[in-house]
Amino acid sequence: MTAGGYADAVRSLSRELALACDAGGTILWADARASELLGARPGQALRSLAVDGSGGRVDQFLRHAPDTPGRPWELAMLVNGRPATLAVWAARIPSGLGVVGSLVTEDFAQALEQVTSTLTEVAELQRETVRQRAELAARNGELVRVNRELEDSNRGVINLYAELDEKSDSLRRTAEVKSRVVANVSHEFRTPINSIAGLARLLLENSDGPLNDEQRRQVGFILKSADELSVLVSDLLDLSKLESGTLRLRPAPFDVSKLFAALRGTLRPLHTNPAVTLVFEAPGPLPVLNTDETKVSQILRNLISNAVKFTERGEVHVRAWSPAPGRIAFGVRDTGVGIAEENLERVFEEFTQIENPMQRKVKGTGLGLSLSRRLAEILGGALRVESTLGEGSTFTLEVPAVHPEVSELDALQARSASMQPGRSPVLVVEDDRQTLLLYEKYLRDSGFQVVPARSTDEARDLMRRMRPAAVVLDIMLDGEASWSFLSEMKEDATTRDIPILVVTVTDREQKARALGADEFWMKPMDQQWLLRRLRALARNGPVSKVLVVDDDEVSRYLVRRLLQDTEYRIVEAAGGAEGVRRAREELPHVILLDFVMPDMGAFEVLDELKKDPVTRSIPVIVHTSKNLDEDERKRLSVETAAILNKQSLSREIAIARIREALVKAGVGGDAQR
Amino acid sequence: MSTDEDCLGNRPELDELTQSYLAAQLAGDRREAIRLLMEEGIGRGNSVIDLHLRVIQQAQREIGRLWEQNSISVAQEHQATAVSQLALAHLYQQSIRRPAVGKSVLVACVEGEMHDVGARICADVLDLHGFDVRFLGADVPTECLISFAERTHPSLVALSVTLPTHLGTAHAAVDALRARTSVPIAVGGRALDTPGAREGWDGVSIFGADAIELLNAARSRLGVPAGGTG
Repeated sequence: MTAGGYADAVRSLSRELALACDAGGTILWADARASELLGARPGQALRSLAVDGSGGRVDQFLRHAPDTPGRPWELAMLVNGRPATLAVWAARIPSGLGVVGSLVTEDFAQALEQVTSTLTEVAELQRETVRQRAELAARNGELVRVNRELEDSNRGVINLYAELDEKSDSLRRTAEVKSRVVANVSHEFRTPINSIAGLARLLLENSDGPLNDEQRRQVGFILKSADELSVLVSDLLDLSKLESGTLRLRPAPFDVSKLFAALRGTLRPLHTNPAVTLVFEAPGPLPVLNTDETKVSQILRNLISNAVKFTERGEVHVRAWSPAPGRIAFGVRDTGVGIAEENLERVFEEFTQIENPMQRKVKGTGLGLSLSRRLAEILGGALRVESTLGEGSTFTLEVPAVHPEVSELDALQARSASMQPGRSPVLVVEDDRQTLLLYEKYLRDSGFQVVPARSTDEARDLMRRMRPAAVVLDIMLDGEASWSFLSEMKEDATTRDIPILVVTVTDREQKARALGADEFWMKPMDQQWLLRRLRALARNGPVSKVLVVDDDEVSRYLVRRLLQDTEYRIVEAAGGAEGVRRAREELPHVILLDFVMPDMGAFEVLDELKKDPVTRSIPVIVHTSKNLDEDERKRLSVETAAILNKQSLSREIAIARIREALVKAGVGGDAQR
Repeated sequence: MSTDEDCLGNRPELDELTQSYLAAQLAGDRREAIRLLMEEGIGRGNSVIDLHLRVIQQAQREIGRLWEQNSISVAQEHQATAVSQLALAHLYQQSIRRPAVGKSVLVACVEGEMHDVGARICADVLDLHGFDVRFLGADVPTECLISFAERTHPSLVALSVTLPTHLGTAHAAVDALRARTSVPIAVGGRALDTPGAREGWDGVSIFGADAIELLNAARSRLGVPAGGTG
C-alpha cells in the first residue's frame, strides 16, 4: 500500500481536523475532515462555522491563540450542523494561521453532560427528600396535637369510669340496704303473724272451751291466712338471703321415703278436693343422699301445693328416681290446667301470675316458683317444667345426691388427715361446712393447711396428736364449751402461746342456732319440739321449772299455754333484769331467753347468769339473734389474739390477721408465704 | 456592568464572598464552598435568596466569562457547576419553606440548553415561596415538554435559555405550547440579555432574567398575594 493509501485508511480514526486561515479568519484551506465535519470551505469566515453567539470567542481565539500555540481553546462549533465543543490550537504559519481542532473534548463534554443530568436527578431527589421531611415534621406536629386531644378525652373517659364506679358503689349500697330492710321487715312481721297462728291454734284445740261451727270456721280462716302470710314472709326472707348470699345450707344424710311421709302429713290440710288424688310413689333404689333436706322439702311442698291448687280433677303424682349416677330427680306431675308454651319460662318469674280460669278461684303468692328455682340452684341442681295446656304439667327437680359442699369437705378432711410438709397447720374449730370450706380456700394459697374440727371435743382430740400454728375458734360453737376450750388452751403451759383467733357470729340465724335454738325460733314454738328440747336438757336430773324471759306478752302467754298440762312449771320475766333476778330466786332448770329485749341485752343477762355460781350452770335457750356491737366484741377480745367477723370475712383480712398473730407468737417464718 | 447587578444594588461584602466562593469552586473544594455560604453567608445574616442570586448565580456568570476567555476548560466548568449544585442543595435544606400557595410551576431548559443552574435557582426560589415546582432540568426535548404540560396542567410554565443560539428553539417551544395548551408562559435566562432577544414573543406573559423577577411576576399573574422574599 502506498503512503497515501495508509493515510486514507487510517483517516477515519482521526478525531482531528485541520485548516489554515488568514489573520482575519478567512479560511484558506481545509482538510478533508474539516470540510466534512465543519463544512469548512476556503473563502468562508471561520467564525461563521461557530455556534450562534460564539462568534466573539472565535475572534478572540484568532487574536490570542497564536501567541500560545500549545494551549488549546474550547470553541463551540457546528459539527454536522450541531453544536459541539472542540479544543482548538492555532500557530502562525506563513501567510496566516494554522488551526487544528480536536473532537476529543466533545467526547468528554458528552460524558460530562451525562454526569450533569445525573446530578440534576440527584438534586431533584434531594429536594424531594427535604420536602418529605418537612411533611413528616408537619404530620408529627399534627400527631402531637391529636395525642393531646386523646389525652384529654382519655381523662374524660377516666372521669366517666370514676363516676360509673361511684354509681355502681351506690347501687350496691342501695341493694345492700334493700336486702337488710327486707330481712328486718320480714322478721318484724314474723312475731305478730306467729302470735296470730299460735292463738288461732289454741282456739281450735278448744283449750278454753268449745267453739260453735261458725266460730270454728272463722278461726279456721284466720289460721289459714296467718299460715299463708307466714309462707310469704319466709319466702321473702329466703329470697333476700339468696340475693345477699347469706343463705346457709345444712347438708345431712336423709331418706326419701321419710321425706315423702313427712310431706304427705304436712300437705294433708291443703288437699281439700276429693276429685284429686295425691300419690307419693314409693321410690326405687336411690343413691345415698346427703344434701339439705329442708330445702328439698321446701321446693317439693311448693310444687305439690301448686299442683293441687291448679288441678280440678285427676291426680297429683310425686316420685323420685336416679336419672344418672350420683344424681337424684323428683317429679311432680299433675292433670291440671297446664301452662301455655309461651309461659313456660315466665312462671319462674317473681310475682308473675299467669292468666287462667283457676286463678280466679285460687290465689298464689307468686314467689314460690321463683324461689324454688333459686333454691334448686343453690343445691347444685335445676328445676324445669314440661306442660301441655289443658292436660297438665310436670315439674322436675334434679340435684346431685351428695351436695358439692359435702364432697369438698370430705376431701378437705382427707387432706388434713396427713400433715403436709412445708405448710403451717391451722386448727379451725367450726361446725358450719360452708365456713370451713371458705377458710380452706382463703388459707390454702398462703401456705397454711386447714385442719377442721367440727366440735371442741374433736378439737381436743386433734390437739393431742398435733400442734397447730394457730387456732381459729367459733366462739359461739357449743355455747359454753367454746369458752371452756379457750380457757383450757390458755391455762395449759404447752398450748398457752398458740395464737387463738376468735370468730364472732353476726348472722342472726347462726347465732341463734349456735346458742342452741332451732333454725328460726318460731314463736310460739312447736310444742313437741319444745318438749323434746327440754327432755334433752334434762341429763342432770328432771326438769320441771322453766323461766321464760321475753318482753313480748303474747310470747310468754303462748309458752305458758303450751306447757300448761305438762310437768313443767312456768316462771315469767318481762325483761332481762327481771329475768336475772327471777333466775336467782327460782333457780329454774332451764331458761328460755329472748335476745331482743329493750332493757338488758341477752349478753348482759348471760353475764349476770354466768357470774353467779348459783345460776352459772342453768342451760339457756336463746332465740332471735341480734347484731353484735363494739362492747360485745370487746368482751370477746379479752382472751383472744384477734377477732374475725364472719360476715365480712375477706381473704386478705383473714390472712393478714393470722399472719399478725403468728408473727406475734414468733412463728413468723413458715407463714410468710 | 450588567443590568442585574444594578437591580440588586451594591453589596460589597457579598462581592467579596462571591470571589472566595468562586475560588473554592474552581479549586474543586466543595466543603470550603459550602462553608463559605453557611458561615459567611447565612452566618452573617444574609438571606438565602441573596446567596442564590448574588453569590451562586454571580459566580456562575463569572465562570461563563472565564470560559469565554479560555481561562478555564469545559471540564473545570462542569466541576464548578457541580459544586454549585451541591451548594444549592444545602441551601434548600437549610431553608424554611413557606406554606403552599396552591399553584404549580413547570421549570425547564429548552431543548439543547445545558446550562441549568439559573433554572435550578428559579425553581428553588419558587419552591421555597410555596409554589409546587416540577423541575425538568437541562435539555428538555420540546415534545416532552408539551406532553408533560398537557398531562400535569401546571399553573405556569417557565422556560430557561442561556445561550443565544438556543433562542430559536425557545421560540418553537413557546409556539408549540400555545398551540396545544393555554398555560401562561414565562421565558427567562441570560440569552434574553442579548439585544433584540425580547422581541417577537407572542403569548409570553413574563420575561425575567432572575429568580426574584420570576417570583414577583408569577405571584402577580397567578393571583398569589405578595409576601416578601427570603
